[in-house]
Amino acid sequence: MKLKQIFPLLALALSSVLGLSACMDDYDEPNTDDFLITSSENIGEVNYSIAQLKQDKASLFGQTNAFELVNTDLIIEGVVVANDCGGNLYQTLLLRHIDDSKPEGDPLRDQALVLAVKHTWLTPYFPVGQRVKVNLKGLYVGCYSKLPKIGQPYYTSSGNLRLGPILLQLCSTNVELVGKPDPDCPECKPVELSPEWLRTTAYRNYLYYPQLVTVRGTLQEADGEAIFAPESLQDAGYGVDRTLVNSVNNTKVTIRTSTQNDISFTVMPQGEHAFTGLLSYYSNWQVQLRSVDDIQ
Amino acid sequence: MKKGVKLTAAALLMASGALAQTPADSLSVLDNADFTFTESQLDEDNDAAQTVSTITGAKSDPYNSEVGYLFSAMRFKVRAYDNMYNSYYLNGLQLNDLELGRFGYSMVGGMNDATRNQEGLSAYDFNRVGVMGVGGGTSVNARASQFAQGNKLTLSGCNRNYVARGMYTHATGILPSGWAFAGQVGYRWANEGVIEGTFYNSFSYFLAAEKRFDEHHALSLVTFGSPTERAQQGASTEEAYWLANSHYYNPNWGYQNGEKRNARVVNDFEPTAILTWDWKINDAKKLTTAAGFKYSMYSSTALSWSGDAYDPRPDYYKNLPSAIFDVYDPEKNNPDYLAQNPYLLDQYNDLVDFWTSSKANRQLNWDRMYFVNRQSEANGGEALYYQERRHNDQMVFALNSAFNQEINRNSKLTLGLSLNATKGMHYKTMADLLGAHSFTDIDKFAANDYGIGSIEAQNDLRHPNRQIGQDDKFGYNYNIFVNKARAYGLYELNQGPFSYRLSAYAEGTTMEREGLMQNGRAPENSYGKSGQAKFLGGGGRFGLTYRPSGAHILSLNFGCQSDAPLARNSFVAPRMQNNFVDNLTNEQVFSAEAAYQFRFGDLTGKLAGYYSRFNNGVEQTAFYNDQEERFTYLTMSGVDREHFGVEAALKYQLTSNFSVSFTGTVSEAQYVNNPLAQVAYEGMNAATLQSLNRWTNPLTGEVMPLRVIADGMRVSGTPLTALSLGLNYNVNGWFFEANLNYYDRVYVDFSEYRRLSNVLPAYSSEGMDLKGNLLFPSVNADDLAKGAILYDNQRTIPVAFDVNGNVTETKDNPHYGQVAATYAAEQEKFKGGFMLDLSVGRYIRLKGGKSLSINLQVQNATNNRNLRTGGYEQNRDDFYNTGVAKAYRFSKNSKYYYANAINAFLNVGFKF
Repeated sequence: MKLKQIFPLLALALSSVLGLSACMDDYDEPNTDDFLITSSENIGEVNYSIAQLKQDKASLFGQTNAFELVNTDLIIEGVVVANDCGGNLYQTLLLRHIDDSKPEGDPLRDQALVLAVKHTWLTPYFPVGQRVKVNLKGLYVGCYSKLPKIGQPYYTSSGNLRLGPILLQLCSTNVELVGKPDPDCPECKPVELSPEWLRTTAYRNYLYYPQLVTVRGTLQEADGEAIFAPESLQDAGYGVDRTLVNSVNNTKVTIRTSTQNDISFTVMPQGEHAFTGLLSYYSNWQVQLRSVDDIQ
Repeated sequence: MKKGVKLTAAALLMASGALAQTPADSLSVLDNADFTFTESQLDEDNDAAQTVSTITGAKSDPYNSEVGYLFSAMRFKVRAYDNMYNSYYLNGLQLNDLELGRFGYSMVGGMNDATRNQEGLSAYDFNRVGVMGVGGGTSVNARASQFAQGNKLTLSGCNRNYVARGMYTHATGILPSGWAFAGQVGYRWANEGVIEGTFYNSFSYFLAAEKRFDEHHALSLVTFGSPTERAQQGASTEEAYWLANSHYYNPNWGYQNGEKRNARVVNDFEPTAILTWDWKINDAKKLTTAAGFKYSMYSSTALSWSGDAYDPRPDYYKNLPSAIFDVYDPEKNNPDYLAQNPYLLDQYNDLVDFWTSSKANRQLNWDRMYFVNRQSEANGGEALYYQERRHNDQMVFALNSAFNQEINRNSKLTLGLSLNATKGMHYKTMADLLGAHSFTDIDKFAANDYGIGSIEAQNDLRHPNRQIGQDDKFGYNYNIFVNKARAYGLYELNQGPFSYRLSAYAEGTTMEREGLMQNGRAPENSYGKSGQAKFLGGGGRFGLTYRPSGAHILSLNFGCQSDAPLARNSFVAPRMQNNFVDNLTNEQVFSAEAAYQFRFGDLTGKLAGYYSRFNNGVEQTAFYNDQEERFTYLTMSGVDREHFGVEAALKYQLTSNFSVSFTGTVSEAQYVNNPLAQVAYEGMNAATLQSLNRWTNPLTGEVMPLRVIADGMRVSGTPLTALSLGLNYNVNGWFFEANLNYYDRVYVDFSEYRRLSNVLPAYSSEGMDLKGNLLFPSVNADDLAKGAILYDNQRTIPVAFDVNGNVTETKDNPHYGQVAATYAAEQEKFKGGFMLDLSVGRYIRLKGGKSLSINLQVQNATNNRNLRTGGYEQNRDDFYNTGVAKAYRFSKNSKYYYANAINAFLNVGFKF
């Protein structure tokens, strides 16, 4: 066989080897230091507060399942003190603002409300301790049941019109992050609720909830085996209520946990413990834990 | 000769060396097979670039030789048969994949010149290699001696999946030493294909050596492969196409660092070697024995996510404007209602603005996934988003030995034996942690149901909470062993104007799963071997041809066969456990056809009619079930289908160089019963799964097996009506061709899940079913046995009915007198349409035996962008568990693929 005949075959064989090495699916990792889903620009100066909102819309917040559109540039600020880090709070950010200019004991000094956003896993964008500004223009304020909230109306799975979450896309126009998250800021320190406070009827209104609180007591259903939220006990809202009883005056607080998260499978601790979470009031005081770390 | 041996050895070593140097996860199989356990069974991944099912190169058949090329733009399948019913042989060895049944054309991708010498074989014709599938087959002769001596360089440019192709072929012809060598290399490439966000990177090699020892013996060795890396197109809803202002919107890609990155990348490489021994015993007898080995590596990447991470797909339904309110409900989509609910229209418009304001908004957001992962790790968590690589590797040893004898001038015989041992290796690896560094191997669905600390959450109890890094195996890992042995015979007898053909085969098949992980949801039956399932099958065909003259041929063909189910359909939840599906039996196929081939002066043609019946089939779909938020296997058993239709190919020679042709088919391919169904959700343990596969008839209270209400559903993804009018003109080495094609009756791939007897009521529509009749027009025991669900036509709670379907309760009942029936949810039929294809070419004979051929093909010259080639329904319910309708109507939002817009293919071939 002559070289002339061999050469093309060798070339074919050689290129068969060389041809196996290329790869097009290879990318540089992105720098995400400045990644935002919120506005990258200043949305305006703070000209309003959660407390003012609750005062100005007292008749609205005093209702059940009522809401209205905000048509003016009302810019509030608050610190994210509860989010969905444990999978228990759904599409929920609790914003809290402490107004140092108001005296201790003034209920308007320390106010909070829920900003609901249509997205799961908000924690990376809104970690606890993150201060945010929110321009309420174009958004709705009101109550989901009795829970003060910023959101947008939607129809529930039962066909009812309720104040639901805002579109995630609106975060890029209506929400701005302020500085870096500071989990040690004053707002992140939960309010310790005493048994007496819980028993006081006068506090059962929108000026006192929602709030980041710590309550103490013994879980009535804890037997060393029962978990917080087995699916077999879930109600129409995909949650399970447990009863926390305070030994001092026997006040009861509902610990509500949704199914399918880390808390739901946690065995309820026996004996007295402290539970931190989002306080709300329906027919009774209710606390929703943020994560298993909220059980002390 | 010594040189030849060395050269062959060198070539083989290089090919195997190349294989050894290739990372195990970067190459693979099955370009054209539209199924893999992780691709098209995950309906989302049904790659539009796939599906070829034709009897290629059937030169003697004017219909089959044309339709593959003519109707390829619409993914036409001959007689609507799946590719698994076609056989593909190369150098005497069948290359169909035993697990999937199909031949993956990517195996020979880019080897057009090497595989050009092929013969189309009808299911009923006599041949020398074996009994074909009911859809016929293709036999390629790629022995080195069959290549014309010389060189050929082919260069192509196009705007399709790839944009450039180059192929070089060299063949020595038969040398005086008795050796012959041939080889081809090719490369196909696109930095971006015609679909945005896709790329194509494919090399191919084919090396052949043959030694003719004497006039009796010849040995032929071929080795070939086509390592390919390609990014895929994804189907989407009409709404997404409208928002993107393009029927070619591809949701699979997004920007990363400003660069386009596709989440679905297929790596495919099937290095194969076939050794063929041709033994010419004497002039009348010949024995051809082929043995082959293949080690294929196929993988496909996909995004995955865990915990509560938001679904990253840009066209996830919650991101779409129509998720805000039911735009299909005239009571809501009207000015009065929207004026009363202005917030709905505002949100709808906000989302429309978001989708339309920037291309990046409607694509994957890779940067966001990296951000979330980094934030998660910074807070002590781990990767929430990741890209996994799903592998379907295979090792195959196959052998086929065929003895051919010309008994006399009028009769001939083929007797043969074939063996195939296949080991399928299925697992997934971590392709990219997307900026994170840690990931624990647990099942997110089971973690949700049973808790992250549960046994069920573990994917491998032998390595609980295993930390997964880049390229590590996780999730599932199992082998499927399939062995098949077949003995066959074919006989042809010619007597005057009659010829008779007989063929038959008998075969045995075994299959077995071997779990390499002990799955927490099935701790007792996931690790180790399942035990073998064994099937005996066989069949026969008879054909009669009558040739009253050379101008007329009449033929009648019949066949019946019983074949083992495919391994791909045979396990309840193969990623998880060893159990075989219930009712696993052979599929019986009865087929018949009549054909008339004729010549009347200048008119030639063929008319044919056919009927095929498939009974007791087993079909499995695997998909992410949005409704249950789980990966789901749904297996239908006892599936009965009918395929029938007429085919025509006519050609009228107007002048010696100008002809008009008509080619077309009008056919039907549909399910004709309501098969039994078996559902398995990944993430659920055995006890939960058992409870899922029962349902209670709401009228009778009887506990019944699940069924899929499939009666009347059509086979999807191929036009059941395809007609073509062609003009062909050639002069002075030029040739011109124009084909105006009409396609109609393409059906969407129906969701079996939505037609489960316990899910279907939510989709029952008032009115007629797709046959124009009530599916269960009366209520009687037979209907109940078929899984009839007895609702009144107001879709309210069931009431009592008599055997005629009338309510038997008192007149006080508001449903008194209404007819009881269930209705099959309609299967969408796509709109038909025309496509014009043009072709012009020139052949130039050069000095010294050289030649140049140039061909330009323009497909879809009128740029019809509205022809759907296929699509699938989403596996999700329109209703909440409360019975309230969701705002988003899944039943109105199937996902579609469209035929390519105008595209061209320029091919220049130079022989020297």
